[in-house]
Parts: sequence; structure tokens; C-alpha cells
Amino acid sequence: MQNFLYPITEVAEKIEKFRENIIVYVEPHQIKETVKLLILQNIRFVHLTAIDFSDKKNKIELNYFFLLLKDKVNIVLKVYVDSLNPTISSISDIIPAAIWAERECNDLFGVKFEGHPDPRRLVLSDDWPEGMYPLRKDFKYNQKPPQEKKPFLLKKPKEGTTVIPIGPFYPSLEEPAYFRLIVEGEKIIDFDYRGFYVHRGIEKLAESALNYQQIPFLAERICGICGFVHSTCYCQAVEKAADIDIPQRAKFIRSMFLELERIHSHLLWIGLAAHIIGFDTLFMQTWRIREPVMYMCEIITGNRKTYGINIVGGVIIDVLPQHLRDLENIISDIEKEIKELREIILEDDTIQLRFKNVGILEYKEAEKYSVCGPVARASGIKTDMRVDFPYAAYPTLSLRVPTKKEGDIWARTLIRLDEILISIGILKEILTNIPEGSTSVKVSKIPSWKEAISYVEAPRGQLFHYILTGPDGKPYRWAVRAPSYQNYQCLSILLQGATIADAPLIIGSIDPCFSCTERYEILDIKNKTFRIYSLQELECLKAR
Amino acid sequence: MKLEFTVASAFVNLFIVLILSPLFDGLTRKVRALIQSRVGPPPLQSYYDILKLMGKEDLKSTINPLFRLSPYMSVVSIAMASLLIPIGSLTPPLNFWGDIFLFIYVITVVGIAIIITASASENPFAYIGASRKMMLHLSVEPILAIALITGAINAGSFKIGDIVKWYYTNGPNVSMVLATVCVFFSLQALIGKIPFDISEAEQELAEGVLIELSGPKYACVKWTNMSRQVLFCLVFTQIFIPWPFTDYFLINVIISLLKITVLLFISSLIEALNPRLRIDQALKYNLTLALFSLTSVFLALLRL
Repeated sequence: MQNFLYPITEVAEKIEKFRENIIVYVEPHQIKETVKLLILQNIRFVHLTAIDFSDKKNKIELNYFFLLLKDKVNIVLKVYVDSLNPTISSISDIIPAAIWAERECNDLFGVKFEGHPDPRRLVLSDDWPEGMYPLRKDFKYNQKPPQEKKPFLLKKPKEGTTVIPIGPFYPSLEEPAYFRLIVEGEKIIDFDYRGFYVHRGIEKLAESALNYQQIPFLAERICGICGFVHSTCYCQAVEKAADIDIPQRAKFIRSMFLELERIHSHLLWIGLAAHIIGFDTLFMQTWRIREPVMYMCEIITGNRKTYGINIVGGVIIDVLPQHLRDLENIISDIEKEIKELREIILEDDTIQLRFKNVGILEYKEAEKYSVCGPVARASGIKTDMRVDFPYAAYPTLSLRVPTKKEGDIWARTLIRLDEILISIGILKEILTNIPEGSTSVKVSKIPSWKEAISYVEAPRGQLFHYILTGPDGKPYRWAVRAPSYQNYQCLSILLQGATIADAPLIIGSIDPCFSCTERYEILDIKNKTFRIYSLQELECLKAR
Repeated sequence: MKLEFTVASAFVNLFIVLILSPLFDGLTRKVRALIQSRVGPPPLQSYYDILKLMGKEDLKSTINPLFRLSPYMSVVSIAMASLLIPIGSLTPPLNFWGDIFLFIYVITVVGIAIIITASASENPFAYIGASRKMMLHLSVEPILAIALITGAINAGSFKIGDIVKWYYTNGPNVSMVLATVCVFFSLQALIGKIPFDISEAEQELAEGVLIELSGPKYACVKWTNMSRQVLFCLVFTQIFIPWPFTDYFLINVIISLLKITVLLFISSLIEALNPRLRIDQALKYNLTLALFSLTSVFLALLRL
């Protein structure tokens, strides 16, 4: 057992070690002490989620997921609270990164966190009735609760200040989220956020209506830009839980699409950042460079986006030799263009005027909020799940992790530009090293009550999936934490004291992905009704 | 001064500034589209836009009469200002009663009208847009005023016609060259295009000053903005670079049209190849330029 665990042994009931995970069982009243001890070891908060065991042992299990980067281990704190009166003291005052996760747990499981700084609703809509907790097992996935009209409590502006609303409908942020900027002149003095307008409850749907092989297709629809990371991360979690070893070729194909997705996602971001500062020429040209990547994905999988090729046990398509040749041509073309693009951005003084020293996130704050991905790397935190917890084909590939110290928007831009070029390098390596063989293995029964944690380095940062397998051919609990979920929470720091002109740019600079964060709902615009996929429809989607 | 000349040249000025301005706007949109690897709208698109908006419903977000009237005031002021610029010959149509102070006053009214519209609309985005526009106007219009005063000191007259005549016959001196350069560098801010479209910044303020406008009012303000673009280009080409001039009225008009086409082309290049500045950065730029243009007044006083 590692040294850092010695202090915990005094407060913990039981410590188990399982692969790279250390599971610590703690009494509810000891949680704060344990977290305080852990934080001295420089741990990063990942996620907090609950599992409802009301019908089995009248308990709700709270899982606090932490990550120790230097030892490359996961630490899971397991706490059992009574399901009739689930209360526990909040850890948000020690780890501000847990604010959202605790609010979400309160919404979906009804766990009360004592001493939480902001106990408002996060996920549930305003008209959702009190006392109904959708992720509890006694709540049916197709149940329609009665509506209860109640206004959401928003921060009130002080005297002499004005409210500038950004969203839910806003020309440069075409996503449903409401940023409430309280300003004095041009300066932002306070900030409030209301999102999750399109929460669908994908997790609930997966736990109650779908089986293991259907969920990858649902998972891929979590995000509109980087969906492949979700299906990969889910499949890896199930494969880990069931000890399935997938063929090497499938691993390479997964890595290939993950890198293609990173390239087009980062190009999309650069375009949008340019659009936000009014530089539409750069916006149009970046998206033009991005187009061949999308085209290549369409040629190989049949879809520009949402490839639908991941299943538990591998991938369902094979990459033909001519695809590899086409891909090689395309990436060497875009490599040239991206290098030119990089020169243009580096030499443009006006872009630097807008990007440098704006939206600075110091190393300390970045650690405190456990931000991830390019935002963390721009603030000097060297973290990349491809290196820290290598998955797919990454153990055999060489890659470097760029970091910067400045923590401003310019640093984030440079990091993303660098990452595109690194991705191109990885793709080249994949193309030369891709092994022959089958692309999937047959999966028989998946054992029940096994758990697994899987990470993927999404374009926006560390993606986390947790799975607890269930007895009836579907997961008992599937938890998703998208990278934007964590990065959002540092916005209050970034926006404090900034000007209105910089606000959209700062919000854009963390590359917020609303659909990932909210695990969204399908909106049928024609009938203005929410629609949840039925089993047959998902079968159809899978067949396509 | 003959009456026929006044009527004919007034007609030409109004035609160029009001009727041709959407065409020039269409051209700049096309240029921008080509730089951005797009097909772009047809050249007459800006006419279609204005006509469509004219027929749209006019939503009244407030009962404030200022909000209702000021968009129309801005079009009228643009039309008036256009009559003070020499196009067909060296004297403007209204040379007998208009001097540089009237001209500066009238073009300020254009901006003020839009600021009033925005402030009357009671929208926080419009408020911020209006305050930004005010700051921008206060920082950029002195540059033009100082440049015109430099010309007036050189020519010994406040009339625009006299200034142009003096400049045309005597050629440039140090002070006028400095004034011309300053006006050229402030042109993008005078027109209100990227990097200086801060008051309308779509991505930051959701069109700022224009957010509450709809229907005919929006059409008027859009039209004003297009006409203002042509007007300021004319100010630069006709007052600060009055060459070449011929004795024929029609040829002069064609030459001036060519000159503003070139100028608008340069301006849309700048627009396409630059991001928007923040208001503090724009103010810094304008104030530096204003200091430079102040030196031109002293140089003019020293007869340089």
C-alpha cells in the first residue's frame, strides 16, 4: 500500500485495492476529515455520484472519485447514507470543484449536503415537483411527474448595477445556457449561471431501458461535436468491468477516430474564437480546413459525425487500405494548412491584443477547481489522460503534452494549435503501425456487480465514465462526467473583473460543450414536445 | 453661382450618397465573401435587405417619441451632409451657406440620432452600445474636425469649397499631408467597421445599438450606416485628395466614384483581415491619432 494512505487508515473503515483503483470505505461523519487528509496529498477531484440501493439495503451509496496524478491511481471514497433521510456534510468548502456534483446529487438522488454554499437546483427544471428524485430506482424512466410552477432563484443585482443577460438565446453562443452578468459600466462584478435547460436524463434511460450493446449508440449522442469519446469511454468501462480484451486493430481504429475528432473539434474552436472577436475571415478559413477531416470520417463510417462504430468488444467497421491512403493525403494537406494558420495567428498583433492577459486562470485556482484539458494545460497543470491512464492504442504511441504557464486565452489557443499538430503526428504513427486482424470479439455474458472507471482525453479534457454492472443485462449505474462540467465551474473566477467585451470570449475560451455537460434531451421542434427514444427506435438507429 | 448647377450637383450628391450606397455595400460584402472563400450574396442584396425591412412589421418596444423619430432624423442628416461635399466640381452644391462647422455638426447629428434611438429603447445591450458609440464618436470625430480646421487655416476660409480649391491649386504642404494621413487612419473608425464596430458588436452585444430596431426604423438605420460609409469615403477622396479634377462635370463624377470604390475596397480588406478591438484599445488608438492631427494645426499656423 502506498505511503499516502497511512493517514487515511485511521479514519477509514476498510481499504481495498483493485487494479489502479483504491476503494476507501468511510463513515458519513468522517467524510470531511478524510477529504481534508486526502487534499494534503494533492489529489484532484473527479466526480461525485450516488447509487441507489434503497430496495436492497435501504442505503444510498455515495461515491467520491479522486485522482492522484503522480501515482496514477484512482481513489474512490464510498459512503453509505440512509435512504430515508440521506444527509451528509458538504465538502464544497474544502474542494470548490465539488459544488456542481453535490448540487446534481441533491437534484437526482435527494441527498442533502449540509453547509453547501449554493444549494439551488442545478439539473432539474424549475417546474419539477419537490421530493421526486429521478435517478432513484423507484422512479420509472417513462413516468411523467405533475408540473409545479416555481421561479428559479437568481442572484439579484445590487443598487447601481445592471444585469446583462447572455443567453439562453444569444447570437454568439448558440446554445441553451443563461449567463447572468451583473455589471457596473463595462466591468463584470458578479456572475450567475443557469443551464441544464435540455437535460434528458440519458443515464436514467440507459439504466432502465437499454442493454449493454445499445448504450454506445446512446452515449455517442451525448455530444454533438465529440460524441465518439463518450461511446469509447463507455465501451472501455464495460470492457474493463467484464475483463474483455479487444483486438489490437480495434484499439487503433478507436485511437484514429479519437484523434480525427480532436483535430476537427479544435479547428472548430479556433474558428469560433475568431468569430467571437469579429475575425470572420479566420473563422471561415479554419472551417474550410476542417471540412476534409469531416469528409474523411464520412467516407470511412458513413457519417460526418456520430460515427456509431463502437460496441462493447471492439468496433463494427473495418478501415480499408484505400481509406488509409486517402487519410494520409488529407492529413498531410491539412498539416501544411494548419502550420500556415499557426503562423498567421502568431503574427497577428490584433488577435494578441484581444487574447493576451484576458481570462487568466492561475495555477492555484486551476488546481482548486480541478479543471481539465487544454484549460488546465494552459495554466501549467500537466495532465493528459492519454499519458496518465493510457487507453486504446496510446500505450504504443508516442505523444508529448504541451503546457503553458500564462493561463490566459492566448495560452489556451497556442495549446490547442499545438495539440492539432500532435494529433496529426499520432495519426501518422497510427497509419504506419495499424496491425491486421479482426476488429471485434464476441461478448457473451457480462458479470454482474462489477465496477469500472474509464477515462478518455476528450478534445475538451478529461472525460470520466463510471459503470456498475447490473444483474439483468444492463448497467445498474452509469455515470458520466464531461470535461466541460468541471471547466464551467471556474468561469466565476475568469469572469470576475473582466469587461463585457471579453465575456463571450472568456466563456468561449473554455470550449464549453453544453450538450456534454447536460447530457441533453432530443427536442422535436415540429411538435414542440420532448421525445425519448423508444427501444425500437434505438434498434433502428443501431441498424443504420 | 447658377441655380441649375446647384440643383444638378445636389441631385448627383444625393444620388451617390443615398441611392448608390447599398450597391457599394453589396460590393464590399462580395469582396469579403471572396476573401473568406465564400460565394457571397448578389451585389444588389443590400437593396433587397432594405426593401424587405421597409415592409416588415414595426415593433414598438417603447412609446418614447425620440425612439420613433431619430432613425428618420439620421437619414435626413446624412442627406444634408452629402450636399456639402464637392463631387462634380470643386465647389459643393450648398457652398454658399455651409462651412466646415456646419458639416461637422450635421455628421455628428447622424451618430447622435442613433445614440438617442438606442438610449430610448431601454435595453441593456442598447445602453452599452450607446455609451460605446458615444465614446467612439467623441474620440474619432475631433480627428476629422482638426483635419478640416488645418485646411481652413491653410486656405484662410471656413468654406469647404474654398479649402478644396486652395488645396487643388497649391498642392499639399506638410500640415495637409499630416492631416490627410490622420483622416485616412481614422476612416475605419469613422465608418464604424471592424475593428471599430464596437458599438454594434454582434457577438458581444447582440448588435448593441440596433437591437431594439425593427422594420422601417431598422431599414433607415441600416441605410444610414451604408450611406455614412460612402459619405466619409467621399470626404476623404474629395476634400483630402482632390486630384485629378477636369473641367467636365460628368468625368469628375466618374473619377470620384472610382476613387471611393478603391477606398471601399481597401476598407473591406481591413475589415476582413482584422478582429474587433475592445473599446479601451480603440480609444487609445483614436487618441494617439488625435494628438498627431493636433500637430498639423500648429504646422498650418506656421504656414508649413
